[in-house]
Amino acid sequence: MHAIRQRIRNVLRGNGDRNATRLQRRRALGTLIWSRLPELRLLLLLVGFAWILLIPSPLLGQSTFIDENALHPGQVNTYWNWGDVHQADLYLAQLEQLRDQNATSKQIAAHVSEEFRKLGIPSATQDYVYQTSQESYNGTNAYAVFSSPRGSGAEATLISAPWLSHTEDALNLRGVATVLALAAFLKGYSLWAKDFIFVISSGQLDGMQAFITTYYGEEPSNLIAEPLTLPSGVIWVALNIDYPGHSFSHLGIFFEGINGRLPNQDLHNSVQLISRHTGGVPVVLYDHLDPRDQPWREAELSIIPSWVPASLKKMSFVQEYAYRAKNLVRHVGYQARGKASGVHGLLHRFRIDAITLYAVPATGPHGFHAIGRIMESSLRTINNLLERLHASFFFYLLVNATTFLKIGFFLPAAIILSVAMMFSGLYEWINAAWYKTVVPRSEEKTETTELTWVERPRPVLDALLVIGATHTAGVGLFYFITLPAVVVNHRIISPVLFIISLLLPLAALPLFKQTSPGASPLWQVLKAFNLCLASTVVSVTCVLNFSLACTTAATLSIPLIFSSPSTSLPLKVVKYAFYMLLGFGWMVFATEEVRSAIWHWELMGIWFAPFICIVYTPLVLQAALVSILPL
Amino acid sequence: MLGGRYLKIGLILNLCTTLTLGHILNEDFHETLDLRPLPDGRLLSAFSFTTLLKEAIPRDPETLGSEDETQHYTLFPLALGQVLREYAVTELHMSLNAGKWDYDRWGYPEDPGVGTGAELWAYMGDSSAVSVDARWRGLRNALAGLFCASLGSLDDQRTTSPSLTFRPEGSFPQWTSASNHQLRHATLPSENVCTENLTPFLKLLPCKGLSGIASLLNPHRLFDSDWHGLSVHVRYLRDHGVEVRLNFQAVSDPVRYSVHGKRDWSLSSVFDRTIHSSCRVASSSMIRVARPTEKTAVVSPEPPSKSEDYAIFDLSDTATPLDISMQWQDESKFIYPLASSSSPLTPISVQRTLKGSIQSQGRLSVVITNHLPITIQTSYLETMPWLLQFYLHSLRTYHNGISRDDLVSIVSYTPPVPHLRPTLFQAVLTLPPKGTLHLSMDVMKPFLRYTEHPPDAERGWNLPPAVFVPLISNTTSSSKVASELNVADVDFRRLSRRIYTPVLLVDLATPDFSMPYNVIIMSCTLIALIFGSVFNLLTRKFVVVRVNQDSKPATRSPVPELKN
Amino acid sequence: MDNFKFEVVFPALILGRFLLALAPLPDSLKHDHQLTSPLTAYPRLQEGLYLFSQGIDPYSGGIFRHSPLYLAIFSTAIPLTKLTTAFLWTASDAVSAWALVRIWRARQRLSSSSRDALIATLYLINPYTFLPTLALSSSTFENTLLLLSVMFASEGQTSPSLLALAFLSQLSLHGMLLLVPVLLLLITDPISHLAAPRPFSASFKTLAFPAGEFFVYFSVLTFVSTLVCGSWAWVEQSWGAMVLLPDLTPNVGLWWYFFTEMFDHFRPFFLMVFSVHLLIYVLPLCIKFQHDMLYVVFLMAGVLATFKPYPTLSDPGLFLSMISLFPETYPHLRHPLVTALLHLHSALLLPLFHHLWLSQGTGNANFFYASTLVFGMSNGAALLDSVWSGLRVAVGRVPDGLEVVQE
Repeated sequence: MHAIRQRIRNVLRGNGDRNATRLQRRRALGTLIWSRLPELRLLLLLVGFAWILLIPSPLLGQSTFIDENALHPGQVNTYWNWGDVHQADLYLAQLEQLRDQNATSKQIAAHVSEEFRKLGIPSATQDYVYQTSQESYNGTNAYAVFSSPRGSGAEATLISAPWLSHTEDALNLRGVATVLALAAFLKGYSLWAKDFIFVISSGQLDGMQAFITTYYGEEPSNLIAEPLTLPSGVIWVALNIDYPGHSFSHLGIFFEGINGRLPNQDLHNSVQLISRHTGGVPVVLYDHLDPRDQPWREAELSIIPSWVPASLKKMSFVQEYAYRAKNLVRHVGYQARGKASGVHGLLHRFRIDAITLYAVPATGPHGFHAIGRIMESSLRTINNLLERLHASFFFYLLVNATTFLKIGFFLPAAIILSVAMMFSGLYEWINAAWYKTVVPRSEEKTETTELTWVERPRPVLDALLVIGATHTAGVGLFYFITLPAVVVNHRIISPVLFIISLLLPLAALPLFKQTSPGASPLWQVLKAFNLCLASTVVSVTCVLNFSLACTTAATLSIPLIFSSPSTSLPLKVVKYAFYMLLGFGWMVFATEEVRSAIWHWELMGIWFAPFICIVYTPLVLQAALVSILPL
Repeated sequence: MLGGRYLKIGLILNLCTTLTLGHILNEDFHETLDLRPLPDGRLLSAFSFTTLLKEAIPRDPETLGSEDETQHYTLFPLALGQVLREYAVTELHMSLNAGKWDYDRWGYPEDPGVGTGAELWAYMGDSSAVSVDARWRGLRNALAGLFCASLGSLDDQRTTSPSLTFRPEGSFPQWTSASNHQLRHATLPSENVCTENLTPFLKLLPCKGLSGIASLLNPHRLFDSDWHGLSVHVRYLRDHGVEVRLNFQAVSDPVRYSVHGKRDWSLSSVFDRTIHSSCRVASSSMIRVARPTEKTAVVSPEPPSKSEDYAIFDLSDTATPLDISMQWQDESKFIYPLASSSSPLTPISVQRTLKGSIQSQGRLSVVITNHLPITIQTSYLETMPWLLQFYLHSLRTYHNGISRDDLVSIVSYTPPVPHLRPTLFQAVLTLPPKGTLHLSMDVMKPFLRYTEHPPDAERGWNLPPAVFVPLISNTTSSSKVASELNVADVDFRRLSRRIYTPVLLVDLATPDFSMPYNVIIMSCTLIALIFGSVFNLLTRKFVVVRVNQDSKPATRSPVPELKN
Repeated sequence: MDNFKFEVVFPALILGRFLLALAPLPDSLKHDHQLTSPLTAYPRLQEGLYLFSQGIDPYSGGIFRHSPLYLAIFSTAIPLTKLTTAFLWTASDAVSAWALVRIWRARQRLSSSSRDALIATLYLINPYTFLPTLALSSSTFENTLLLLSVMFASEGQTSPSLLALAFLSQLSLHGMLLLVPVLLLLITDPISHLAAPRPFSASFKTLAFPAGEFFVYFSVLTFVSTLVCGSWAWVEQSWGAMVLLPDLTPNVGLWWYFFTEMFDHFRPFFLMVFSVHLLIYVLPLCIKFQHDMLYVVFLMAGVLATFKPYPTLSDPGLFLSMISLFPETYPHLRHPLVTALLHLHSALLLPLFHHLWLSQGTGNANFFYASTLVFGMSNGAALLDSVWSGLRVAVGRVPDGLEVVQE
């Protein structure tokens, strides 16, 4: 027994000095990791990208469920009947008249708010003017507040319909008619616990933006809006109706908010359940109909490229994968750019959980009757809420209407990539400190020489200066491209700007001469910091906006990790051109995108544009510098 | 002695059947019901049951130590009387309301106390025997028990004495010991009112809910109305006695009940009941129906007596069962008045909102509109729990967009003490004619301990209403005011009544309620880790070790000790 | 960097800071929980001044917790306007940077050095000290007083140093913790003996007089503050808050969430433990680093930055900026990059998670708590690194194959 213990002790701490063995073990471990780091880095990259590709696969994901017990979705009898549908048709007729005599936003608002007042619901209108550098928007919102019987007026639910439909340039007449009919219907019942705020916002996004910012007492400098005369309470949940077509086959749900904020998933799940069971309407994400349900439209619906062999196309796995991928791509498209996928998205900023119910246009079979019942039942469910929806159901990826990924299943994809960057950053950092040289052995008998590691100082300060300079330049760039003058004649200026930014680093190159003879080259330290910074940015952004973090990681990880200077001039040029294209290409190749990004920034404070200018571009620029700095 | 008392009561009950009691006993009981159709098609019904205890004087708090005189009541509610004498309360006002009174559309209520939730205020004489605060605590607990309402939680964190706004409605007795009276006031906006409060309320009435006007109090319909509230008022009137007034008000919506959207109503349609018999012990019981301006409105049955704007039914001489009704004959469907056309019913209207959605700060914004062509002074009261703390220095006032800080004069301000005491903010505002005043003030939302949050923490906290009292001097030309407000004769006492704003909801940031152990563990670990390693470094001594790659036992040489 | 001239860099930076302070930026920052604590927030100061001017005792409520000295100064001498505040706070930072440079010169026995510009810059552009100044947090003044006190001490001017320290302790009680090192610094010298440690030479008797002097200053100031607000109520409101933690507003420290989640019956005990824990470090550090008191002051700044009840970012800011005074320890830092990355992460995570919790509502309190833990770790790591390198210097460079360890 004792012997065994003795042996174990020997194995553990060796038979010599404890510290020495400890150090030896530590060094051994260090050298092991050190020697394997490049392979490890590659492995991490591989796993990261594999994970990203894996996200849409049917293997991952679980079916959605209701977390908040108070909701009880679809547990009530609905009373919305054909009488109310008739009412809605009457409203629709009036609205169509307005459309035909193409009435101004002011007339429409006046008409709508008078209709509300005829119902005995206090209503008012709100004029607003938005000044953006590109054009100015003005319009008039109509809104009404139905204060619930015996309600204290401290809580409210918002029901909205923008005049313009979000998806195509159709008018949302039926949506507005639904809201009006709904108001008349809801007033007939005394069971409501919260006030209802009905908003018919003019324009697409600007109207609601004007309304909600005024409601919460914000005063954006570029907005002139009438104050609201009808106060109400705190809004927890909002439903937005978008019903452009004549009738609809599926109910599409849009949920992305500005700056990547998502509504509490319980809201989506409840509406989805209610729509299927109470309304009898199948639910899809966005307007993505499942090609498997409509084989005759497969060509337009499916995203599987044509060259894929038919046998493969028929595999259910592939079809499911393709469908999920389609949804995810749409999702990332909204979230990464911080765009709102509908009017509801503007409310998220104010801690309102909101979604848009989109009636996917079709020749049938559903109409006012279905959407009315869905709305009624959903409102009853929302009415049950005693607390704000707070279960931490804000981080999720919906791959289809009934399946989602928990944060643990998609976050690692980006994190692993950022870890890979972090590791190679540390690798460069250590590399910079040591270099192998030939030193004569100071032993008398032989003149053999051997390679040894020699430590050298690192130009930390200069590297930090470069990084600081690049990001400051980014800030300058951002303020420049958002100048009204620049935005207006963007077409002319952006190519010039691109050329300038192409030449500027080259002009600055002479500044970076080898600082002190013994020190390690600047590019190494710069690369180390660059990678560490990029990794930090990615891992921090993950929680706020996964799509953005993931896209950034996927774009940057490989170029940044493998950035290195080279001796041959042509290689240098190629590398530099590549990085500059990666970093500044958007100026010339995505002018429309730039315009809309700037517009979103000015109107709604969406920080995609600043992120690109101040974070992304400088990071790439640093890599570009690494590639042209002296070896 | 005791037996004798019961005998006496029994005797009295015998008498009840034969003749009314008012004359032999020195108590009398009046009941009235006011029915007023409102401009927006709704119907306000205000019940009022008044019992006067003649030649009675509130208890002198100095005598609290000694034995109290015995209490013989027949009509006067004994349960309430005992509470009043136990805590020597001179004047008491309690109201339990559900809903938000809409002054702009409904005008003034019959009973001014319409703040959402529970409100309790009382005047009590100072005493060396038992302190006012101790009696206040006892009083609210006793009432909580009496009315099944959670008035017990009107604790020190909600109690203030806003003497500017809440003036005594009765008179103070002249006790031998010259003692001055103190006000205690508290509100609980999150208290909701329901039938469990009505039942004890009915128990206090001499005829309970069985006969007379009280028999109309049918919970099923009352608690389905758009607004309802009950209130208790006790006051002392010099050389009359102690008066107890029990009020119940409800605003119901006949349009919602009728199939064709008409606003015609009748007792049976509104209360789902009719009056079968009068309350015999009542010395008067009146039903007064306010007749609207439209002449097409017809009251049936034909009222025995009319004033120019009231149809009055006296239950003692009308045939029962009585089912009063009102029809607008030319109306097939009620047309709601468009808001623009309706003229203001109150001198001022107030909006009070909490701006901002961040959980650490916000902005309180109050908008007061003066509808009259004269300058109005109005008092402004905030009794805010410490859940919302004012940055008083940021108080800004704008009149029609121009900064006018001179229009606000702060009368008194008591800053809040966390976990302990609410804010008391009293000010007087000057409202120029026909103008709108915008007040705004930054507020801070505090962070609570996890034990202080309610079970539904994520809902937030209801904040009490602000109270405004327009101070209109009789000197101003009454005709002008009358022409503005469409009321025949301007009763200034009525105009200068309390106006309650709707309550607010503030959501405070919540900690994670499942975390206490984890937090203690993690924080302590981190601290212990740093502490440990620092002292580790400080105490251990340095040695230089030769580390050679082949695992020979390494030689070592300690660094010469730094200090000797 | 080194080739920049101090005479150029210093004024330029000050000017830039002043202009930024005039920009609308401060209004958006002054409520920020990371830059201001309930004890230093500018809106609370304004509120206190307002109440004071209205004749209401500002200490009767729970909002105002500043020292009465602020009331005395700002209600009489200097009215707080956009311009004066911008000037005051910037000037305060300028003085701090200047003091830091003077300390460096005293330590090096130089009248000016090539490193001055760097030191000043590191203090002035350090976001941890920069942003609280923009947010008009009064912790800026505390830093200035501390640095002034140390500066005078290392220049051997007893009375000014002790006066500054007395003011500091008046504004924030934790200044007291620096009394011992500053006194010892007064009777020794600021020159770096880290490389060649030696036993403490000066005699403790000479301490008696300065200590007495300090307590005279301190009690006079206390008396003055009591005169200013006419009662002793301020003691419980302002000093008491640093021990009893009545206000649980989130900050970058480790206390607030701990005592938000604490069971009520354990609260007093843990309050005691946390407060005492701060005291523990003083003597051991003084003994171990008896040869270099300036280093002790530096380490104590680190301890305070990590464990203070109501820290703002300017406390770690001071600590990190002071590192620039001890270049001799750089080669022996153990994990500089790791510490730096920890700081980078927490510096980004703190505002982000604060936003997720309080503004956007998608995250809960644990998010921000986690980021404060990370921040605590990064401060702790910095502290440990400096303790280690401060001791390690004494051994000096060792040839290949040799390692220095502790046992």
